[in-house]
Amino acid sequence: MRTRLSDALSLVVVLTILLFILAPILVLIFSAFDGGNIFRFPPRFYSLRWFEAALNHPEYRSSLWISTLLGVISTLIAVTLASLAAFGLVRGRPRYGLALEVLLLAPLTLPLVVWAIALLSIYAELGMNGTLPGLILAHVTITLPFAARIMIATFKEIDPRLEAAAKSLGAPPSAVLRRITLPLALPGLLSSTAIAFLVSFNDVVVTTLIAGAGWITFPVRTFSRLRTEGIDPTTIAIGAMIVVFTIVLIVVGQRLFQLSRRL
Amino acid sequence: MKPQITGMLVAPAAALMFGVFVLPFLFLLVLSFWSQVPGSLGLDTSFTLANYVRIFGDSYYLGGLWTTLWLSGLVTLICLVLALPLSRWIVLRAGRAKGLIIGLSILPLVCGALLPTLGLVNLLSPLGFINGALKSMGVIQSSLPLLGNITGVTIGLVQAFLPLMILPLITTMERLSQDYEKAATSLGARPVVVWQRILLPLLLPGIVAGSLLVFCASLTAFVTPQVLGQGKVVTFASLAYQQAALVLDWPFASALAIVMLIFLTLAGVLGALVTRNFGRVA
Amino acid sequence: MKRIACFAAVAVGGLFACLPAMAQDYSGHTLTVGTWGGDIERLLREHVAGPLEAETGAKVEFLLGGSGDRLSKMAAERNNPTMDVTFQNIYEAPLALKDGLVVAPDAAAVPNAADVWPGMNEGCYAMSLVGLGIAYSKSLFPEEPEWADLWQPQFRGMMAYAPYPSSEGDGMLAVAARVAGADEHDPDAAFAKLAELGAPKLTYSSLDEVLSLMDAGEIAAAPMISGYVISNLANYEGIGFVFPKDPGPVLVRDMVCQVANSPEPELAQMFIDLAIGIDTQTAYAKELNFGPTNSKVALTEAEAANVINTPEEVASLLQMDWPYVIEQRSAWTDRWNKEILGQ
Repeated sequence: MRTRLSDALSLVVVLTILLFILAPILVLIFSAFDGGNIFRFPPRFYSLRWFEAALNHPEYRSSLWISTLLGVISTLIAVTLASLAAFGLVRGRPRYGLALEVLLLAPLTLPLVVWAIALLSIYAELGMNGTLPGLILAHVTITLPFAARIMIATFKEIDPRLEAAAKSLGAPPSAVLRRITLPLALPGLLSSTAIAFLVSFNDVVVTTLIAGAGWITFPVRTFSRLRTEGIDPTTIAIGAMIVVFTIVLIVVGQRLFQLSRRL
Repeated sequence: MKPQITGMLVAPAAALMFGVFVLPFLFLLVLSFWSQVPGSLGLDTSFTLANYVRIFGDSYYLGGLWTTLWLSGLVTLICLVLALPLSRWIVLRAGRAKGLIIGLSILPLVCGALLPTLGLVNLLSPLGFINGALKSMGVIQSSLPLLGNITGVTIGLVQAFLPLMILPLITTMERLSQDYEKAATSLGARPVVVWQRILLPLLLPGIVAGSLLVFCASLTAFVTPQVLGQGKVVTFASLAYQQAALVLDWPFASALAIVMLIFLTLAGVLGALVTRNFGRVA
Repeated sequence: MKRIACFAAVAVGGLFACLPAMAQDYSGHTLTVGTWGGDIERLLREHVAGPLEAETGAKVEFLLGGSGDRLSKMAAERNNPTMDVTFQNIYEAPLALKDGLVVAPDAAAVPNAADVWPGMNEGCYAMSLVGLGIAYSKSLFPEEPEWADLWQPQFRGMMAYAPYPSSEGDGMLAVAARVAGADEHDPDAAFAKLAELGAPKLTYSSLDEVLSLMDAGEIAAAPMISGYVISNLANYEGIGFVFPKDPGPVLVRDMVCQVANSPEPELAQMFIDLAIGIDTQTAYAKELNFGPTNSKVALTEAEAANVINTPEEVASLLQMDWPYVIEQRSAWTDRWNKEILGQ
């Protein structure tokens, strides 16, 4: 009886927190269906015109594609480098470990606009301004701290004795990595990947200053008209579509993952 | 692990940080001792402490930095309090809906800072949903001021950065065996004691990771405080943005960033001491 | 026969006359233009980039952002610029020229520059004329307000401003100084008078924020730049916009600049020539309510109503001493933060 009550209570708490997280996003989704020319909530009359506009807008399409591409490349590099470094820091316990940990977290502590101006000045001297490698390096730098921090926590939770046991039973290092370490680190890897990708995908400040003209991302496009013209309802429709796409992706991904485990 | 292997693992990330972060940072450090020529974009490269004197001699700037520090601390604490039960529920109870719930709880990160913030403005404004609902229920007579003050900014930052706390916590909880908790409970420990003695210490790496991420993200957040603070809440990022991108006084903006870093280092040392003691007690 | 030969000669001559413009084939070249996103990008694509690409074979790419971002970018990469053309505001253009970041206007390289109203190509080429007027809530102002009406006590604390520094903020300081009987060279008078309006209810980062609150009567008025606000009036029944008379609206100008040492100077000049040409200028006026700077643009009476397009109208505008204001930037930013926002 008591557990049932506390179950119900914890469910209420959880749903309240979820509602708090989701309320602004629900506003967003509802207002995407408003037929008016401006962002407003609640909608006055419903229409799909902004979804149509979103699908028929070549500039938004190419910007979304650029954001995705940039996010995927930067995330792959950032999560790989961060995982290697985190593994080294946790298992190897190097002498200046704490200093290195701080170094890997440091980019999070500077306001990005100040750092981006300094980086752009250096890029300009090297002839790297406006180039794709320069932009990717900048994105890896702002996403790596998130991944590194999560991977450090992940490896700290994995008992090194599990790896040692496998090794003592004769498993070669590659098998230990594949069969023991990676599966145990998987939740951490997924979390890092998600956060790194989303930070890269949504960055405005750094990308505005560092990106060349061929690399106008979706958020940069959105912000470049915000002050003068306000938010474009098309952007809100695109945001709503991204939200739905993400949920579908996660649910389907989880199902496939469970299926693959059963096979 | 051999030191050479450790070195090889850490080196790529460290090299990247050094080249793309530390070098520009050193440039900022030098810049902070230069000055801007008034009415020009040119820099006066003679050594001066004027930028630092201006910050430390002016309660406006120190106040802004201080507000940002405690605001970020508050946001971190609220995120932690909200994320602990939610993450635990997701790991233990969500069952087949787990993926969906995790997905829902990280949505604020998915949409970027701007769109959810605009949604929040609609909910929190004097004519918005929350004030309207409270008024129609007769709870309040006149609108609560939820925008243009610390309350609004805090709500916005918590909403925006909760995922940064939830994901690391879930990650560490996944690894945590439920057996500890069951054993403790079966031995008669009360839930509070179970949390305090068993769960929190074991979750510490996740808590540290999530707290650091939320704290730093709040510290440098620009869009959310700007929009929900309506220009009335002075934060570090808004000051730095104003000076760097609008006044184009890069030396002063650099000095602001450096002073914040000094504060942070102090806070970090303090935090490390507290954590160490906490670890001993546990 | 003679006539045909003559005709052919004229035709060939005509061709040759065209040749200087297409003397070179620019295919494989890319011109980078820094500008705002939204309608401006769309119009520039339609009326400038499209024809230029068709004529030269070059590719035009737009770099989107705010004008402050672009000025930072130019300054940071001054030895190795990536932009060829950039759009800046009225006070950034002379600043950029003074620091050698842009090339001074030159009617020899950009023929349409000769048709721009005299004296307007300050620092860069003048692109459009807009004025800082009053956007106001119709429910609170039954009649079109004058600047002085904003100082009525019931509106204290009900203004909205753009983030400072900006042409809106500096323009409002210049207005406040004049309402107090001085001008912007007396910052004490300007700040004291503006502080009488109280701390603003809102510093807005997007146009929707201020317009939706003004529509609801939560915000009484805001000093705003004509153009976008006028285009938005159709979306908000409760909002009006007026060019006051005493003093007149503050002149604000968008400028288009040729970046110094840029990779594609000739293409940049051709782009600017098209941008300040009659076709683009007319489209700006019709679609965005941005006043043309090209003196040869002819607008109908209806089109001209919301647009600053004649020398007489320009003369009625309040012209600020921008070089002086820019020198005060750092000090005024501190004063704005403390005396206006933080009061």
